[in-house]
Amino acid sequence: MPPDAIVERPARPNNVQLTIDGTPVSVPQGTTIFDAARAHGISIPTLCHQQNENPVGVCRVCVVDVGQRVYAASCVRQAEPGMTVKTNTEPVVGVRKTLVELLMSDHPSPCARQQHSGDCELERLAAQAGLGQSRFPTRTTPRGHDDSSLAIQVDHESCILCDRCIRGCDDIRNNWVLARRGKGYQAGIAFDNNLPMGESSCVSCGECMVSCPTGALTNRGVVKSHLEGDTVDPTFLTGLPVFENVSGTFLGLNRNAIVERRFKAGEIICREGEFGATAFYIVDGMAEVYLASPIAHVKTEGGARGFLSKLTSLLTSRDEDGRNEESTRSYIPIDASVDLPYRSPIAELGPGELFGEMTCMSYYPRSATVRAKTDCTMLEMLRNVLDIMQRNKTFREQLDRTYKKRALDSHLRSVPVLAPLTADFIDHLREHVELLRFQPGQVICSQGEVADSFYLVRLGFVKVSQHRPGGDIVQAYLARGSYFGEMAFLTGTPRMATCTALDHVEVVRIPGDDFQLMLDRFPDIRRKLETESAEHVEQNRQRDAQVADVSMDQFLSQGLMEAQSLLILDLDRCTRCDQCVRACADAHDGVSRLIREGLRFDRYLVATSCRQCRDPLCMVGCPVGSIRRRNSLEVIIEDWCIGCGQCANNCPYGNINMHPFPVEIDDLLHPGRTVASVKVKATSCDLCLGHAEPSCVYACPHDAAHRVNPPEFFGGLLKRQKIAKQ
Amino acid sequence: MFEELRAIQRDFGYLPADRLTTLAAKINIPLSQIHAVASFYPHFHLSPPPRVDVRVCADMSCHLRGGDQVRSALDSAFQGADAKKVCIRDVSCLGRCDQAPAIMVNNNIHSHVTGREAVAMIQDVLAGKPFPDRGHSAVRMAVASDPYNGTGDYAVLRRLVETRNWQEIISTLKAAGLRGMGGAGFPTSSKWELVRNAPSYPKYIVCNADESEPGTIKDRGIMENVPYLVIEGMITAGLVTGAQKGILYIRHEYEEPKDILQHEIDRCYQEGLLGSRILGSDLAFDLEIFVSPGGYICGEESALLEAIEGKRAEPRNKPPFPVTNGLWNQPTVINNVETFCLATVILARGADWYKAQGKNGSVGMKFVGVSGDVNRPGIFEVPMGTTYDELIHENAGGISSGGNLLAFAPSGPSSGYLPASLANLPLDWNAVAAAGSMVGSGAIVVCAEGRCMLDMALNATRFYRNESCGKCVPCRVGSQKLVEMLKGWTAGVSNTDDMQLLAELSTAMKQASICGLGQVVPVPIASVIKHFPSTVEEHIVNHRCPEGVCFG
Repeated sequence: MPPDAIVERPARPNNVQLTIDGTPVSVPQGTTIFDAARAHGISIPTLCHQQNENPVGVCRVCVVDVGQRVYAASCVRQAEPGMTVKTNTEPVVGVRKTLVELLMSDHPSPCARQQHSGDCELERLAAQAGLGQSRFPTRTTPRGHDDSSLAIQVDHESCILCDRCIRGCDDIRNNWVLARRGKGYQAGIAFDNNLPMGESSCVSCGECMVSCPTGALTNRGVVKSHLEGDTVDPTFLTGLPVFENVSGTFLGLNRNAIVERRFKAGEIICREGEFGATAFYIVDGMAEVYLASPIAHVKTEGGARGFLSKLTSLLTSRDEDGRNEESTRSYIPIDASVDLPYRSPIAELGPGELFGEMTCMSYYPRSATVRAKTDCTMLEMLRNVLDIMQRNKTFREQLDRTYKKRALDSHLRSVPVLAPLTADFIDHLREHVELLRFQPGQVICSQGEVADSFYLVRLGFVKVSQHRPGGDIVQAYLARGSYFGEMAFLTGTPRMATCTALDHVEVVRIPGDDFQLMLDRFPDIRRKLETESAEHVEQNRQRDAQVADVSMDQFLSQGLMEAQSLLILDLDRCTRCDQCVRACADAHDGVSRLIREGLRFDRYLVATSCRQCRDPLCMVGCPVGSIRRRNSLEVIIEDWCIGCGQCANNCPYGNINMHPFPVEIDDLLHPGRTVASVKVKATSCDLCLGHAEPSCVYACPHDAAHRVNPPEFFGGLLKRQKIAKQ
Repeated sequence: MFEELRAIQRDFGYLPADRLTTLAAKINIPLSQIHAVASFYPHFHLSPPPRVDVRVCADMSCHLRGGDQVRSALDSAFQGADAKKVCIRDVSCLGRCDQAPAIMVNNNIHSHVTGREAVAMIQDVLAGKPFPDRGHSAVRMAVASDPYNGTGDYAVLRRLVETRNWQEIISTLKAAGLRGMGGAGFPTSSKWELVRNAPSYPKYIVCNADESEPGTIKDRGIMENVPYLVIEGMITAGLVTGAQKGILYIRHEYEEPKDILQHEIDRCYQEGLLGSRILGSDLAFDLEIFVSPGGYICGEESALLEAIEGKRAEPRNKPPFPVTNGLWNQPTVINNVETFCLATVILARGADWYKAQGKNGSVGMKFVGVSGDVNRPGIFEVPMGTTYDELIHENAGGISSGGNLLAFAPSGPSSGYLPASLANLPLDWNAVAAAGSMVGSGAIVVCAEGRCMLDMALNATRFYRNESCGKCVPCRVGSQKLVEMLKGWTAGVSNTDDMQLLAELSTAMKQASICGLGQVVPVPIASVIKHFPSTVEEHIVNHRCPEGVCFG
């Protein structure tokens, strides 16, 4: 309605007559001065007020002279009969200018918003008022930044405490995540219990960000889109249940981070082992997810002519060549809401399902190959949009439902220990389990706590560590399909370790009471868990003994104590002839697993070969969880390795190699036929298993190469050094 | 919510994050809201407090009486001490201005302390000895105006229950001209009448016993000596306005007055003066004490109401006022302790008696506190019209150490400072207002010659900065910038345009702040610039403190 139309309207009895800047004005009772002025074409500047929120009158920039002792904030003050309002006198403008100058003295100008889009409301007011450098002293105590959210950047330095984000979060979206914290000049905004935004219960609806007048809350955005596909209209997205209640403006700002992709039936959508940064959400159509890699491991076999003969590597499955402590899992965990059956690793995904979450959030290689079964429409997205979706309440509910309906059974059954669970008990659990999300670094449960839950890992990696004198010790990295938290229930003691999310983690929580019930009803499960738990305890005991026996200092600083088994070269004897390296290569199809370089300690060179580390970084990020440790702490690579090379990259000592094999694979272009291809499989030093001595040690003509247990070997050396010092 | 938070803090010594999460689920309040409240009040700790938590009052009277020396003695004695064991910090006025300097050790207040005593006490505690008794700070005084001579007969209430002549109460208070004694001076009869005429029920009576402004101690004296006059005033207000619920909001540093009041409330319930059938009639009124979770801002009436409602004590935008939209948005009488007390006195003795109490042409009487550089600091009950000279030299025994009067604040920092030449002013609302100050709450703080008035202005401003709630920009940012400017002046940093900038800032704070706190922040420095211009000039032009106080 044009402003003059209101002026023309005859005054109704419940209207209030007042004068604004000399103009007689009539407005319905209850109208604020700000609105009355606006309706009559007089705009009053403000920072804390916007039309879709209830006014709070905190920035005071909208003050006007109503002829009283002090000015009134026009956004909250109601028009009164006979009031004479002056919005633009010199003193009023002067006060406004001072308020802006006060805020500008603490404002990091240009702030993020001003830099990105040139529309910081504070900086605009400052420019309009002709303000140069603020004359007030600037803030000396930093207020900080918060980069924890994937979608929204928080810069507390730019916050003017206008409360717009708080009202957006609480009043408009009813999420109640944001509030003020602290008091006075130290006041600020806080998420939940003053948590980093990414760790808070924020649902990433974006309302706070689109409400913020400055650069305090800005869209992290995507610098440059490299996504192929069609741009998606934000209104289409807000219509999808998984983006329900997300601000359309916010989605619009993220339009570079999501595209629509159409695939013809049979078309490959992504391949296992490939690196990527996106997740896919199926809007329409069916897709097949499967493993194209042979389900097998690398086996080295000795020839008939003695130790220096060429060993051959070949691929063999666990059925033909069962290894010590080989997994008996019947499902292979992948980066989707289903697990793949070991015997026939293929499954289907349909509309409303999401895959590639771990690739997208943590940049792990794709865990499986996905092919369109029918013609498909998908949304492909980068991590900031995935984060918005994952935090969405509707999506969470949908995911929770789908998980309980489709994946809980296979997830539980894929854990060999839990195999005896009956269908009715799984039904019982269905009602009680809960999917929980954790941000990198967030603690899931702490050592010393009383246990109240048992957990299964659904996404990401969980670091299990124990606090010991001399520092924390990593016990394990648990991948999808692993479980933790059972020990405390078996032994009735507080938690023995701290479990922390290493990356973006999702776990299935089974409440303590239900887990207890499971132990009571399935004595088999209890027994198996007890056996496993006893093995863990024994491992820990051994490690403790190592820690207690050996003096740490330099030894630790070189990382040698991390190792369980080291190849050392006695430099007094070594002539650098490289026979050891050649022997290793000879023994392993010409691919050496040993490099004659490394850390030095005393007169020993610690050659690069698998150390079976105490903090086995190689295990982090295996998209299918096929690398793990035996109880002896040796690394084992399970048969469903997809050859992505993540573990080889992660090993800080370069001790995992990718071994290529010629294989026949299905020809996707000609179904039914096969083509020759090369597949790689990861393999680590196997200590030339089956030989009396590793080839490298055997090959050394100078008796310089030894395989040793570091604490035993160096322990004595350290003691001698100490005594010599004294 | 405060009860829950206090219970957690009692158990753990602070508010652990996981307990707050549990509490949020239990009372069904979002965690963010609980944290917003818990982080606002100084009473709550979000991290484990040190074993010995020492707070030294740094405000006006303690500043004048050696608080700084106590602080520096403690600082040097415990320099480099483990922060988990002992932590020494400033605290805002503890309401012991007549017993300055005061410190608070693990929530126990010790007044009249010296640096050596304080250090010894904390060393003892760290060595494993128990905390010393905090002693009794209650000041026994005879209250001449007490119509009951100490017995607390509740005669006004007894008669009112019989006559039910509500109008007579309001007209008597109007005839006496009783004004709000908290500082603002709004006519009490009008306030009661507005609430009486407000159509909405329930209604509330709130007594503001949160006096926290430096120098203000008179309410403590009233509550400790004539608690029944306050309670009777509240019940009377309840019966007159139709409110059936009263809340006495007291600062948490006032444990003794609280105990005395609670004892009196218990007695009233026993004697049927409170409860659902007052003196056997169909009239009802319940009264409870609400202990403040802390902060000067809680004394601002709408902030006080927010605190009772379990929120951050941030003042509301007014209008609407509490008389129509008060506690829980219902009509509410909110008066100061002294106002309720004097209402009872007036109703017992009559309006004429009250008016006759004044002298030198002024009307009525008042309780004042005199502290700072005087020989006998204390709480006094005096006729209106008494001159400040008389209050300082006769009631309070003159300037300490035989010195001369330099300046005085008629009502703590909010009144600003007046020079000795104006000490012949009478305690009179209009006369003091004409001199550019105010009678306010009668918190008279005295400065002897040798004090640096710029330092005193900085001290007052710093108090406001520390106590700003942070809701609105002019007060939150302005008070900080003002402190920094004045700190600069007392340390040799000044700019040529500082006076212009100060003028602009003062106008913005006065005109645009939501509540009285923000509006009065510039008052102390303005009064010092007005009355002691050469002191200010010496500092900012010649970088010299005439009294040798600044540039330390």
